[in-house]
Amino acid sequence: MVDVIKRNNVRIRGLGDRAMVFAHGFGCDQNMWRFVAPAFEKDFRTVLFDQVGAGGSDLASYDNAKYATLGGYADDVVEIGCELGLKDAVFVGHSVSAMIGALAALKVPGMFGKLVMVGPSARYIDDGDYIGGFGEKQIEELLQFLEANHMGWSIQMAPTIMGNADRPELGEELTNSFCRTDPEIAKAFARVTFQSDNRTDLPEINVPTLILQCSEDIIAPQAAGEFVRDSIPNSRFVVLEATGHCPNLSAPDEVIAAMRNFV
Amino acid sequence: MSNPGFDYIDLFENAPCGYVVLLTNGRVERANRTMLSWTGYPADQMVGKRFSDYLSMAGRIFYETHIAPLLRMQGFFNEFAIDVVGADGKPISMIANALEMRDAAGEPLFVRLALIKATDRRLYESQLLQARDAAKISLANERATSELREQFIAVLGHDLRNPLASISAGARILGRDAKTDREHQVVAMLQSTVVRMAGLIDNVLDFARGRLGGGITLDRNARAPLQPVLHQVVDELRLSSPGREIREEYMIDVPVDCDRSRIGQLVSNLVGNAITHGASSQPILVSAATENGLFKLSVCNAGEPIPADAMTKLFEPFFRGEVRASRQGLGLGLHIASQIAKAHGGTLTVSSNTKETCFSFVMPLL
Repeated sequence: MVDVIKRNNVRIRGLGDRAMVFAHGFGCDQNMWRFVAPAFEKDFRTVLFDQVGAGGSDLASYDNAKYATLGGYADDVVEIGCELGLKDAVFVGHSVSAMIGALAALKVPGMFGKLVMVGPSARYIDDGDYIGGFGEKQIEELLQFLEANHMGWSIQMAPTIMGNADRPELGEELTNSFCRTDPEIAKAFARVTFQSDNRTDLPEINVPTLILQCSEDIIAPQAAGEFVRDSIPNSRFVVLEATGHCPNLSAPDEVIAAMRNFV
Repeated sequence: MSNPGFDYIDLFENAPCGYVVLLTNGRVERANRTMLSWTGYPADQMVGKRFSDYLSMAGRIFYETHIAPLLRMQGFFNEFAIDVVGADGKPISMIANALEMRDAAGEPLFVRLALIKATDRRLYESQLLQARDAAKISLANERATSELREQFIAVLGHDLRNPLASISAGARILGRDAKTDREHQVVAMLQSTVVRMAGLIDNVLDFARGRLGGGITLDRNARAPLQPVLHQVVDELRLSSPGREIREEYMIDVPVDCDRSRIGQLVSNLVGNAITHGASSQPILVSAATENGLFKLSVCNAGEPIPADAMTKLFEPFFRGEVRASRQGLGLGLHIASQIAKAHGGTLTVSSNTKETCFSFVMPLL
């Protein structure tokens, strides 16, 4: 029996009956929500977790075959949801995790009653008339570039981190720990993320969905956000003043306000 | 300013690194002269633009997914690699540190970046990565080949032993009905060849296993007597080399905790070696004894001493002494014997002079 709580370093806080699940995207870990999640602790049971391979997750659980598609990550979300008995919960996904949440919502109807997508993109690579913002070659360049930035990860460091999977406070003392991942896993996650295509999944989503679109987001350009809006039947689209790809860090108040309006 | 070393504006503008100041929206507030000269942009062109506009696409993604979040979360990010695209469109490899300056309430004010041109270093790093990847692939190929070889040798060993057993059985049947001296001679020759061949197969398999990670494995047994095993091995060799005198002296008073068939193999290899290299007119002496907490076994023969330069290489695999081609082995016998000695926590040594050549195996009695 897999201990999903340990595997995904699940952290539960908050006082509410209804759960709000926060999922981080490619890059860092659940700390991405550190300025947003506390605002909902009064009214919700907040559930934060690390994708396998990131943060305080159990790296030994990483499985090349399982995590070769976003579906593998969605299975993790479903498993966490089952473990916690989630019903009609709110799923808040940043970046690629917006799609992971959409897939999880489709797998188990009723588990998530609302979706919040922060900077979503159904497909990052351009395809005919569709604008994702990237060319295939650029994604290959990214994978090479990731190698040049090992994020403080070294072979010597690996056992320390893996050995402290159950005591993440030790790991957090270390530099760049919020974004530290095994380089091979980071590359694999980047590949899965930037080669994903969930365009045909979106019309199936039948729960209310809030899309938060940043201004000047080069990872998820406005055209990509609008595509998500047009594909999901019951969606609300809000363009934030915040720039960049991480409004949850750069403009938490704006994100919180938009989310409160929705939930 | 009389001393230009304390001219802070000059220090900023002409520092030996590029300085870039970014506003919280990621736009360039200021870039120093060093940065401008490295990249070839005029100042008014850079200021007001998003810093990520000057990065390669991979750098932009990395900036948005790693650098910007880390600056917000931990306030700094040191030693990251970044490619800044110059005015000529060419990427300039840099290493950078970034620091988020905050007000008293912890709100971000701006970001300071210090960038060092690191073309050679980054090139070197990427070459190291390429070399590592190439080594990984080559290692994986080697492993696959080596696994195949291991299987091949195991199958070969098995397949060679079966026909050898048939030849041996056939020779025994012929031996029972042999009448003439010539028939007896041929049968003896067949049996001698079978023994030698079996020994070669054993050595090849052991060598292959040892080289491929298995090492020599022991099946120790302290209770069963060792002497009958030694005698049987010597007897077989005696039968297959009629005309050679082999003397045995045993004084094994206490049980020896060893793998008996391995020790048998060690003796077989040493005696086989003595038969090949020793003077055929002189006896070979096999002696084994337990004394002072040690088990000692030696095989001595008379004959030409081993040349000094050969002494150091005797136990190396595939080392073959000067003998006539028909007696030439694989050069594995002594190597395997020394490995068996080592596996028992013992040693195999050699001494050689004009009087005699002795191989001595010594292992501790537990």
